[in-house]
Amino acid sequence: MRTLLPLAWHSAWHRRSTLALVVFSIALATFLLLTLERARHDLRSSFTQAVSGTDLIVGARTGSVQLMLYAVFRLGGATNNVRMSSIEELSRHRAVAWVVPLSLGDSHRGFPVLGTTTAYFQHFRHGDAQALVLTQGRPFGGDLDTLYEAVLGAEVADRLGYRLGDRITLTHGLPGAAAGGLAAEHADKPFTVIGILQRTGTPVDRTVHVSLQAIEAIHLDWAGGAPLPGLRIPAEQARKFDLNPKQVTAALVGLRSRAAVFAVQRAVADYPAEPLMAVLPGVALDELWQAVGLGERALLALSGVVALVSLAGLVAVVLTGLNERRRELAVLRAVGAGPRHLLLLLTAEGGLVTLVGAALGAVLSALAVGLLGPWVQAHWGISLQWAAPTATQGLWLAAVLGAGMLASLVPAWRASRLSLADGLSPRA
Amino acid sequence: MKPTPLRHSPSRRAGGPAGCAPGRRAMLLGAGATMLLGLPSLASSQVQALPPPPATPQRNPSRAAPRFVGPYRILQWEELVPAGWDPMKEFKDINLDALTDADPRALELMRRLREVWDNAPSNPALEGQSVRLPGFVVPLEESREGLKEFLLVPYFGACIHSPPPPANQIVHVLPRTPARDVRSMDAVWISGTLRQVKTDSYMGVSSYRMEAMRVEPYKGDR
Repeated sequence: MRTLLPLAWHSAWHRRSTLALVVFSIALATFLLLTLERARHDLRSSFTQAVSGTDLIVGARTGSVQLMLYAVFRLGGATNNVRMSSIEELSRHRAVAWVVPLSLGDSHRGFPVLGTTTAYFQHFRHGDAQALVLTQGRPFGGDLDTLYEAVLGAEVADRLGYRLGDRITLTHGLPGAAAGGLAAEHADKPFTVIGILQRTGTPVDRTVHVSLQAIEAIHLDWAGGAPLPGLRIPAEQARKFDLNPKQVTAALVGLRSRAAVFAVQRAVADYPAEPLMAVLPGVALDELWQAVGLGERALLALSGVVALVSLAGLVAVVLTGLNERRRELAVLRAVGAGPRHLLLLLTAEGGLVTLVGAALGAVLSALAVGLLGPWVQAHWGISLQWAAPTATQGLWLAAVLGAGMLASLVPAWRASRLSLADGLSPRA
Repeated sequence: MKPTPLRHSPSRRAGGPAGCAPGRRAMLLGAGATMLLGLPSLASSQVQALPPPPATPQRNPSRAAPRFVGPYRILQWEELVPAGWDPMKEFKDINLDALTDADPRALELMRRLREVWDNAPSNPALEGQSVRLPGFVVPLEESREGLKEFLLVPYFGACIHSPPPPANQIVHVLPRTPARDVRSMDAVWISGTLRQVKTDSYMGVSSYRMEAMRVEPYKGDR
């Protein structure tokens, strides 16, 4: 075996121009499999880490996955709003410990703006029950004196280069609506950055947080998504109005006892004054995975087919090359190599080619993840990053290598059947 | 209420709550019937229009020989209900047959029944026992390592279409090591020490909690 491996290597190196294409196709297949698996894994763990310690998410009646997506991940839009009076009554329920109302609908240069209360900074947890931490500044006050204050997520501050004390203006409409500068700005009421949050790897990073009263203030002289003509309420005068919110988008709810979650869920669903629904985050996430799972499996199957195609290419190239190698193999037989050695030689050759291809694919996958990671983080709040290969990634690598060696058994078997006489007297 | 996870085909599981029970009157009658199972049965004498229901076989789980898996006694969900608790006590004088599903009186009855169920007492005899219980998972807290907290319920689809279980038919489970690859509505066995937690206000006087030593998929009767 010690002599066979270098022999296989040199033999393959000699035919590197033909085998290079095969190596690239195997690299592509490995790249697809590994990147897909990394994306799947990071997506799942990102979503799972995004909210923790919240028992229920309450909003207008819509799909449970949709409610999760817009309330926690700020993706998509709400179908309807929820009256603040309903949320307040819910907070007075016997089993409810805390309620954090959420108001969405504005954006700032492509990042969503969240209107909420100071309870958000106390009760919101992510990952492993980790609380939100401010690297600079403080949370907004939530009262009328501290009206136009904003707390930025880490991604917003980094990408747009904001520091404490900077002034920002909010744009009306969800992120995406601001494309091309067509959306209207709340230019007369600028906000001051008074806090920047630590990076969490969740959608919190790409959110601009303001108080609920501030959201009311900037919409005082607006109606139906546009400023009312002829009516202008300056920023300072807005404080004189009643800025208690009448409507919010959703609310996060924490309970005194986690086992009471079904009872409160029923109470919300049966609430007579307004059509509401409450979802358990864990259950809604599992529903999301079920829905997404079909697409994932289809992509995985496709990647598997690409791998099979590239391995078929390997077999085809080696098989067609066997004709030219009859003399070479005959020489080896003449110096004492048995059919078994030839089998091993060609299998080792195929295995080496697959190994090089798989290694190249793994490197490309790591590069792609490293390059795309920050972009994905900025746009969707999902942290895609370099990490040690997951167990499934290792499985895919082993599968590609194993399949490559199995596939190269075919030409190896053919080669070992060639007789000595056939090789020594070739009929060219 | 013994769970019957084996009888659920995978397609039903994928369909989720589509197969849950409709009809408030059916729920009231069904709820009453199931909660009386295992307790001294009292056929309602007010249901005059119907012939008396067939005598339900008296199932007293504590008299059957207890089965063990290792140090854990296999528990039936009926044992979580203390003997003598009758949730239908205040509904005996009502002729449920005369109500339609949408009747506001039926809605009011459902609300009262919900209050009775939400304040269901737990069985003090089970405190500190090492037990093994099968049920369906409702995930609460998930982390990278796996599921860290979940609720165990006796039937599939504790969801928006069926009435949620009473307070003494829910176990708040904290696995010792996070459970891997457990999804919503998976059927599992949990093994550990059952405790009662005094809650200050809502879920009756106390509710069940277990720090589960083992969380295993449900593959058979043991």
